[in-house]
Amino acid sequence: MPKLTKTGGLSKVDIPMAPMIDIVFQLLIFFMLNLKIVAPEGNFNVNMPLGAPKAADPDKPITPDIKVKLQADANGNLVQLLLGDNPLGNDDRAFERLNSEILKLIGRPGAAMAQDVEVEIDADYDLRYEYIIKAVSKCTGRLDSRGNVIRYVEKVKFAPPKKRAPA
Amino acid sequence: MKTKQIEAGFTEPDMTPMIDIVFQLLTFFMIAINFENTKADERVKLPTDMLAKPPETKLDNELVLNVGFNRRPDGSHNGNAVIFYNGDPVPLEGILTPLQQEATVFKAKSADQSDKALDDVAVIIRADGEVPTGMVQELIEKCQEAKFTKFSLKAIQKEK
Repeated sequence: MPKLTKTGGLSKVDIPMAPMIDIVFQLLIFFMLNLKIVAPEGNFNVNMPLGAPKAADPDKPITPDIKVKLQADANGNLVQLLLGDNPLGNDDRAFERLNSEILKLIGRPGAAMAQDVEVEIDADYDLRYEYIIKAVSKCTGRLDSRGNVIRYVEKVKFAPPKKRAPA
Repeated sequence: MKTKQIEAGFTEPDMTPMIDIVFQLLTFFMIAINFENTKADERVKLPTDMLAKPPETKLDNELVLNVGFNRRPDGSHNGNAVIFYNGDPVPLEGILTPLQQEATVFKAKSADQSDKALDDVAVIIRADGEVPTGMVQELIEKCQEAKFTKFSLKAIQKEK
């Protein structure tokens, strides 16, 4: 800031910048080292209430569970994906078929049926977990062209775990 | 002989552009840093899915359980999945006691201090894509034994 000297002229007072730059660099290094770039993670809710299921409301029609079965080999690879007793295959197209079959069962997304019905996932012990996420995802809904989620079935549960296959 | 006198001068470098850039970098890193995700274990390679969208509202009480393998530097593993509890590998058989301790803490924090308090606690399961499904199911059973009722399975959001 300029100030008047005794002689009447202007002189420049320098603000010391070095300490501020030191601190700013230290902060910068701290934040750089602590930065973790993590991919966004999403949740799939699983409905696993404790104890015996509640008695059904007599006024409400009983909607049977949709049973999705996943059979695996000893290495955990998917051998067969079944909707009820209907085999759908074991590749990516099988999961797409599952998605369209679920839509056929519920009628249309957001229908009353979609809110009442429950999907039961029944998987072999050794099946790799990534297939479960795929199956849960395909039962839950799909993405539209704008990237919005269209929900199919809200409730997903697991069947009781199976025993591990003997080695 | 006349010599030309050269006045020794000192020119200060202009620091303003550098400070501008440094402040911009600082602001970027301050905004991008995420202190919340510290419960996520980097050893767990989550499966990816397009429908896995981050939740809009976050529950106040959540218990994060990481299930994965002790991977070697090349990414391979011995096939024995473990639960990473507070960073330490714990076998499935030994997880019930820590879960019961967690349940006690959640109950103590709540107003009524009963098992109902655990209905508001979400157990977030972050399982590696290669973990056997049966193990995840057994872990859910152990959680149910400790009176937890709400479960969420985590996956990484896959871009189109």
